[in-house]
Amino acid sequence: MSNALNEKPNAESLPVSASAGILLDGRYIPPPQDKDGKIWVRTTALVQADAEELYTVWRNVEAAPLWQEELTQVTATGPTTSRWVMESRGKTIEWDSEILADEPGKRIAWRSIGGDSENAGEVIFENAPGGRGTMVTVLQEFRMGKMTSAWETLVGRSPKQAIIENLRHFKALLETGEIPRTQGQPHEDRGMIGKMKGSAYGENIKTRREAIALQVELDPCLRKIRPHLLPRS
Amino acid sequence: MKAVCWMGTGKVETLTVADPALLNPHDAIIKITRTAICGSDLHLYDGFIPTMESGDILGHEFMGIVEEVGPEVTNLQRGDRVVVPFTIACGNCLFCKKKIWSACDNTNPNAHLMEAAYGYSGSGLFGYSHMMGGYAGGQAQYARVPFANVGPLKIESDLPDEKVLFLSDIFPTGYMAAENAQIEPGDTVAVWGCGPVGQFAIASAFMLGAARVIAIDRLEERVELARSLGAITVNYSDEDVSVLTALKDLTGGVGPDSCIDAVGLEAHSAQLQGVYDKVKTALMMETDRPSVLRQAIQAVRKGGTLSIPGVYGGLLDKVPFGAAFGKGITMKMGQTNMHNYMKPLLERIESGQIDPSYIISHRITLDEAPEMYKIWRDKKEKVTKIVIDPWMEKRAA
Ligand SMILES: NC(=O)c1ccc[n+]([C@@H]2O[C@H](COP(=O)([O-])OP(=O)(O)OC[C@H]3O[C@@H](n4cnc5c(N)ncnc54)[C@H](O)[C@@H]3O)[C@@H](O)[C@H]2O)c1
Ligand SMILES: [Zn+2]
Ligand SMILES: [Zn+2]
Repeated sequence: MSNALNEKPNAESLPVSASAGILLDGRYIPPPQDKDGKIWVRTTALVQADAEELYTVWRNVEAAPLWQEELTQVTATGPTTSRWVMESRGKTIEWDSEILADEPGKRIAWRSIGGDSENAGEVIFENAPGGRGTMVTVLQEFRMGKMTSAWETLVGRSPKQAIIENLRHFKALLETGEIPRTQGQPHEDRGMIGKMKGSAYGENIKTRREAIALQVELDPCLRKIRPHLLPRS
Repeated sequence: MKAVCWMGTGKVETLTVADPALLNPHDAIIKITRTAICGSDLHLYDGFIPTMESGDILGHEFMGIVEEVGPEVTNLQRGDRVVVPFTIACGNCLFCKKKIWSACDNTNPNAHLMEAAYGYSGSGLFGYSHMMGGYAGGQAQYARVPFANVGPLKIESDLPDEKVLFLSDIFPTGYMAAENAQIEPGDTVAVWGCGPVGQFAIASAFMLGAARVIAIDRLEERVELARSLGAITVNYSDEDVSVLTALKDLTGGVGPDSCIDAVGLEAHSAQLQGVYDKVKTALMMETDRPSVLRQAIQAVRKGGTLSIPGVYGGLLDKVPFGAAFGKGITMKMGQTNMHNYMKPLLERIESGQIDPSYIISHRITLDEAPEMYKIWRDKKEKVTKIVIDPWMEKRAA
């Protein structure tokens, strides 16, 4: 783990102590603080799946819209580069991304390389103690810009919370084959306040996985890895 | 379809809403044949549970016939008769694997709301606020049941609905309460509240080996039901009755080995502390009225166990924690881990050990539900349990 701590996805602006790693030489490292227009979020989830499996799904960037909120498409543009498109209520945000570090089964680090978003992040997969699954830790940073503010105002989720929710969706999808949701269920008209609260609760936010939940359009990578969890064709 | 909707504190209406549809691969749609109103629904009705929104469909105790299943539900088919547990569990997370189903990690789409309040989120529940998932409830003609591959219990015998309906919540809840009470053969167990949960806690305490059960309530029709199970009853509204003295008198001064709080956050109290809690909750300085909890901590014997199936939602005041520490007691509580109990309890019903329908006092239509919420809250008409037939047009004579 300490090796992983030496790699920094964005050396220029990272504080010395920053990394997705939570421990250094047995010492707990708190998440970095927001500073100078930069927002940090670190979040972690214990997932009942192998590190290898989780790594493979995460590394398959084109499948990200299945579990990341409001992403419409990710297209690989090279072995380590990809184009990301987010669409929310008529607005489109696009950026390119590049993978900086890639350790199969262990760790991926990336950063944006132009477009509407300035972000960088890393994810680490580690065996949990006692064979209780895999601990997945994500550290992501953004610079407040078009994307982050649009996200907040349009989607009704702070970008920090969105990262936390994305990891939650990733875990749910990998553990159960679906992401829990209530969008589309019946209720009596909620009125103005109820509608606003629904957004505040995040109940209107979509992942493509939810949008296509019952169809069989699924990523071949997911299908290969967790066939028992996915809709049969 | 018709559904009972929460339209604000103290306001429930039966309205026509859209039918539910399959949304996720592990969903099933159930045509509901019987559903019930629970003591927990009163906490919503009275506005004690935050994040209820106008328009939400109520109800979490229901059963019915499978109408449609999602592509990943392999254990159920159209036409199967099922009882649905009120807690929704995925079956695959760490907590489900540990059989702490009501702590499931993957079934609350609004987990962040509960995390903000409780540190961590529990499982999603039907019809029980957006913090608990925002799922539409089962006081309706149809319901969507997520993770139908894990929860619903198939009923293959021809037992009538009324005998198995309470496997959806209150029978397992009473049973887990007795299990949490860590009863040893020969023990004396005190149960506060002779509502449905209290009733099944009393019955289960006997099944788990209690020698004596002492049941406490103020409603004569309910203590009468408790006596019919073999409990000693203490009616605290009788003149000169002090519950603490009664429990000492009935245990040779030792106190009950286990105490069960089957009342929860809306406990009634005639004493000064009741007024204190009313004022404080009205001023939003306290969210719950823990008068039974206080009494039970005081009453339980040294080294005894306190089991709490009654629901608490937030911040409690003046809880005698010193007494709890001083006596070295154990406390166990929580939403019921439904999936552990449904099958074994169905077997007890099938073998004739217990007929849970004995608590039913009212059988009503969906249209009557709003009126019955009032009666249920005020404990009028000797109400002990209300069952709704969502397809009945007029109440049977
Ligand atoms: N843990 C769970 O998963 C779970 C599941 C279902 C219900 N519950 C909870 O269990 C509790 C009881 O449910 P119910 O359906 O039986 O409700 P209920 O309202 O019918 O019964 C409550 C009973 O408590 C009595 N009571 C009130 N104040 C009292 C006092 N000071 N001393 C003694 N008795 C008193 C009332 O007279 C009433 O008979 C509720 O809080 C409910 O939310 C918990
Ligand atoms: Zn209930
Ligand atoms: Zn689970």
